[in-house]
Amino acid sequence: MKELTVRVFRFDPESDDKPHYQTYLVRVNEGARVLHALHAIHDEHDPSLSYRYCCGSGQCGSCAVRVNGEPVLACMEEARDGITIEPLDLPIVKDLVVDMGPYLAAISALAPGESFSMPTPDVVETMKPLRSCIECLACVSACPALKVTKFAGPTAMREDIRLALDPRDSCDRVTEAVKEGLFTCTSCQACWKVCPKNIEIPGKAIEKLRALANRKGLTLPRHQEVAQMIKDTGRSVSRTEPTFLEQVGEVLEPYGPVKGTVGFFVGCMYNQRLPQTALDAMEVLRRNGIRVIIPKEQVCCGSPLIRTGQVDFLETLKRRNIDAFVFRDIDTVMTMCAGCGSTLKNDYKTPFRVMDINEVLTRMEIEPPARLPVKATYHDPCHLLRGQGIRAQPRELISQVVDLVEMPSVCCGSGGGVRSGIPEEAAALAEKRREEIEKTGAEIVISSCPFCEFHISEHTDRPVKNVSTILLEGYREKDRKKKAG
Amino acid sequence: MRSAEVVDCHVLVIGSGGAGVRAAIEASGYGETVLLSKTIPGKGGCTPMAEGGYNAVLREADSCEVHYEDTMKGGAYLNNPALVQILVEEAPERIRDLLRWGAVFDVTESCEVAQRPFGGQRFPRTCYAGDRTGHEMMLTLMDRLGCSPVRIFSELTVIELLKSGDSVAGALALDRNGEMTALRAGSTVLATGGGTRIYDISTNSSSGTGDGYALGYRAGAELIDMEQIQFHPTGAVFPYDARGRLVTEAVRGEGGVLKNSLGERFMARYDPERMDLSTRDVVARAIATEILEGRGTPHGGVYLDVTHLPRAQIESKLPVMLEQFLKFGVDIREEPMEVAPTAHHVMGGLRIGSGGETTVPGLFACGEVAGGVHGANRLGGNALADTQVFGKRAGESAGKAKKRKVKIDAKQVEDQAKRLESFLSGEVHPSSVTRSLQTAMWEGAGIFRTAKDLEKTLEIISHLSAIPLRASGPANLAECCIVQNMLTMASLVVRAALLRKESRGAHVRKDVTQAWDAANSPYGHTFLSKERTGIETGVKP
Repeated sequence: MKELTVRVFRFDPESDDKPHYQTYLVRVNEGARVLHALHAIHDEHDPSLSYRYCCGSGQCGSCAVRVNGEPVLACMEEARDGITIEPLDLPIVKDLVVDMGPYLAAISALAPGESFSMPTPDVVETMKPLRSCIECLACVSACPALKVTKFAGPTAMREDIRLALDPRDSCDRVTEAVKEGLFTCTSCQACWKVCPKNIEIPGKAIEKLRALANRKGLTLPRHQEVAQMIKDTGRSVSRTEPTFLEQVGEVLEPYGPVKGTVGFFVGCMYNQRLPQTALDAMEVLRRNGIRVIIPKEQVCCGSPLIRTGQVDFLETLKRRNIDAFVFRDIDTVMTMCAGCGSTLKNDYKTPFRVMDINEVLTRMEIEPPARLPVKATYHDPCHLLRGQGIRAQPRELISQVVDLVEMPSVCCGSGGGVRSGIPEEAAALAEKRREEIEKTGAEIVISSCPFCEFHISEHTDRPVKNVSTILLEGYREKDRKKKAG
Repeated sequence: MRSAEVVDCHVLVIGSGGAGVRAAIEASGYGETVLLSKTIPGKGGCTPMAEGGYNAVLREADSCEVHYEDTMKGGAYLNNPALVQILVEEAPERIRDLLRWGAVFDVTESCEVAQRPFGGQRFPRTCYAGDRTGHEMMLTLMDRLGCSPVRIFSELTVIELLKSGDSVAGALALDRNGEMTALRAGSTVLATGGGTRIYDISTNSSSGTGDGYALGYRAGAELIDMEQIQFHPTGAVFPYDARGRLVTEAVRGEGGVLKNSLGERFMARYDPERMDLSTRDVVARAIATEILEGRGTPHGGVYLDVTHLPRAQIESKLPVMLEQFLKFGVDIREEPMEVAPTAHHVMGGLRIGSGGETTVPGLFACGEVAGGVHGANRLGGNALADTQVFGKRAGESAGKAKKRKVKIDAKQVEDQAKRLESFLSGEVHPSSVTRSLQTAMWEGAGIFRTAKDLEKTLEIISHLSAIPLRASGPANLAECCIVQNMLTMASLVVRAALLRKESRGAHVRKDVTQAWDAANSPYGHTFLSKERTGIETGVKP
C-alpha cells in the first residue's frame, strides 16, 4: 500500500454556488489507477463523491476524467501523488459526472440500404481502427473548435468517415459531415493525442472526409482559391514584400568554424509574409556555426492542400521539394514553420532527416545569449507540440533569454484552413488565447510557427515574437553590453 | 415516503448489454417498450468487454449438429438440449442481423466473416472483430436501438420487481439522486447479465453484481444450476487492482501457449489432445493446480506466451490485449503475459423456456441471467451468440404477450420505501461488506469446493446479510440494494453448490468421490426458488 494526495473537483449544482477543490490523502495499492484512488475516497472518506465507471479495463469509456488537465480514462491511468482530478470539459451533472448525452447522440448510426454487400477486407482494415472508439468523449473535451462554434465533434466525424466507407450504409455522410462542422476543425490534433485508443481522427477522418467533400464540390470557396494559388504560383499566400528567398544567397556560411550543415525549408509564410523572422533565424544559426543551404526551387509543402482535402496536386509539390534537397546531397533538412515541419515529417516519405529549428539548436551547445528583463509566455504551436512532439526544446531556448510564464496549450485557431475558411471561428479561438495571455501577465508572447505568430498578433496588444527573434535579441543585448563595457 | 414517478409500458427490459438491447429492439415491434439501464446504455454489462468472439455455423464444412455436440459435451451434458438446439440453429441468423445493421467483423479474402478456433470446438467457428467483438456488437446494437422507438432510461438501478398478484408487473428503480420511479409493464424482461463480482477476482464490469438473480428469486422465479460458475483460465494477475481482468481466449485461439515457471507446456499433462484449447473448466483447473503445486510465476500465475507469433498478427488480432498490457508495462510481443483463473461467467440462472419465459408469469429472462443454455461449462464464443439468439426470443415473447393493465401493489412500494429508509439509519458502509463477501466466496466457493468450506461460506454470507447497511445519503441507497443482491446471489451459488454432490463441469467437489462421468451422471439441474429447493435425479443426460 502507499499514500497519495489527490485534489478532486467537487460541484453539486443543486446545492453549490460554484465548484471547489477538495484534497484527500488516500491509501491505495502499488500500481493503482486513478479510478482506485476515487474508490478509496468514496469508500473511506466521502461516499458523496460522484464519478462514473464500469468495465475497469479501458473498454467501455464511462470513466474519462481530466488528470492535471489532460483527459484520460480513470481506470487505465496510474494514480500519482499530487494529481488534480477534474471532470471532462462538458456540462457537469455532479462532481466528476458530466452530461455525455448530446455528444453521444451526435454520433450517426448506419442506415442499412436496400441491397447488402459485405465490406471488402481492405475496407474492413480501414474501418477497424475507427471502430475501436469507446465513446469516452475525451476528444470532445479536448476539442477547441466545438467550444466556440457549432461542431458535432471529433468522434462524430470519426463515425461519419467510417459510414462513408461502409458499402452497407445508404446515406450521404459527407454532406452530413459538412453540415455538422467538418470545416471547423483546426487540425490541432488534440483529439488524437488524448484518445485512449489512439485514433488518428484529424488524418484518418477529418482530412479524408474533406477529400471526399472536395470530390463533391463542397470545398469552401476560400480553400479553393488557396489551392488555385498554389497551382499557379507554388505558394499558398501572396507576397507583401521581397521574399526571404530573394534576399539570401543559396549558401549562408557561419561566422565562425562550421559545426554543421542543414538544408533550409522556409515555407510560404516565412518566405512571403514574415521574411524578417526567417532572416533572424539565419543570423542565430550563423552565429552558432551552422552552414545553411537554401535551394531556391523549393515550393509550398502542400499542407494547406492536405488539411483541406485538396490532394490532387500534392504529389507534384512533394516531388519538387524532395528533389530540391536530394540534388544537393543534403542529409538534414531544417524547418522553422511548425506546419511545414509536421507535413514533411508525417505526410512525406523523405530520403533525408527533417528537424525543426528548435531541435537543431538544442542538439548543440549554443552560444549563451544575454538575459533580457522581460516576462514572456510561450504559445505551443499545434503542429510543433502535437504534430512533432516538440515541447521542451523551445522552452529550453527561451528560458536562456527571458522569464517564462506558462499558459495552457490550446490551439490559436489559425490552422486547418479555419483562418481563411471560417475567420470568425479563428478569431473566437484567438480571443481565448488573448485571455490566457493576459492571465499570465506576460509582456511578450513567443511562439514558433508563422501562422500562430501572425494570427495571435492580430488579437493581442503584446508583441508576438519567434523563438529565433528572441534569441537574436539576446545576442544583440550581449553585443551591446560587450561594446559598452 | 416519497411518491414514485410512474411510467407505463407494454414491455420493460432491464439491462442494456447485448441481450437486453437485442430484446428491446425486438419487443419494440409489438408495443411501447422501455429499456432501463444501471449504466449509460451500451457501456454497462459484459458485452462491451467481451473480446474473443461469437460462435456460429457459417461454413459448409461445419454443421449445427457438431456445434450442438461440442456445446453439450463442453457443458458436461447439463445443458437444456432444447435450448442448445435453438442456440446453434439461430446463431447464424442473428449474426446476419448484426451484419445487416453494420457490424464490422473481420472478413476473409472472399469477404466472408472470418472464424478462428476456440476451446472445446472441433471447427473454427468463432467469428470475431479483432479482440473487441462484444464492443463491436454493442456499437451496432446501440445504433439500431437509437433508430427504434424504444424509450431509454439511463443510470437507473432496479431495486425490486413489482408484483401484481402472482405475476411480475414491472419494476421499482432509483435514479442517481435516490429518487424512485415505478415502471409498470405487461411484460418484464430481465437481461441483467451475470454476477461474478461476488468473487474477489473477477472479469466482470462493476455492473456484474447478480442483480437479476436476486430480483428474480425474490419475485418467486426458480433458478437452476447456480453452482455452475465459470472460472476463466486466463485473467491478469498484476497490478493488484487489475487482477482478474480478462485475457481473452482469442490469445490461445491465435496460437498463444501456456507454460509454467519451469517452461513446461503443462497442458500436455491435463489434456494432451486439445492442449491449450481445451475447455475452460479443464484449463482453469490445470492452471490452478500448477500454481498450487509451486510451478507458478512470481506474481502467482502461469505464463501465456505469444512472442513466437508474428508482430503484425498480434497487432491486428489482439490490439486490446496489446494496449492493456502495455499500459501495465508488459509488451506482449516481446515477453509472456502472466495469467491465473478469474471468476467469469454464471452458467446457471433463471429457468427459462424456449421463448425466455421464466417460471413466473409476466417475467422473461435472457442472456447470462438465464440458465440452462451452457450447462456446467460454457464454450468461449457461445455467450455472445446466446445474447442475440435468446435476446431476440425473449423480446419477441414479451412483445407478443397479451397487453394488460397492471396495478401497483401499494404495500409493496411501501415496503421498499421502508427498506430504503432503514439504510439511512444503518451502520456499515456497503463497500466493506462487499469486500468481505468477495474474499469469502473466493476462498470458500471457488474452483475447488468442499461441503465444509461451502457451509462455512454460507454462514459468513448469512452473517454479512444481517449487518445493517448504511447509505450516507439518498444517492447511496442503490449501492446498499446492490450489495444485498450480491449477498442473495452468493447464497444461491453456495446453496446450489451444496446440493450438487458431484463434480461436473466447472463445479468441483473435492470431498466427493463419484463413480460416473458427466455423460452418465444421475443428476440433472439443481433448482432453487422460494417454494422449493433440490436437485433433479433420474434424468439421463
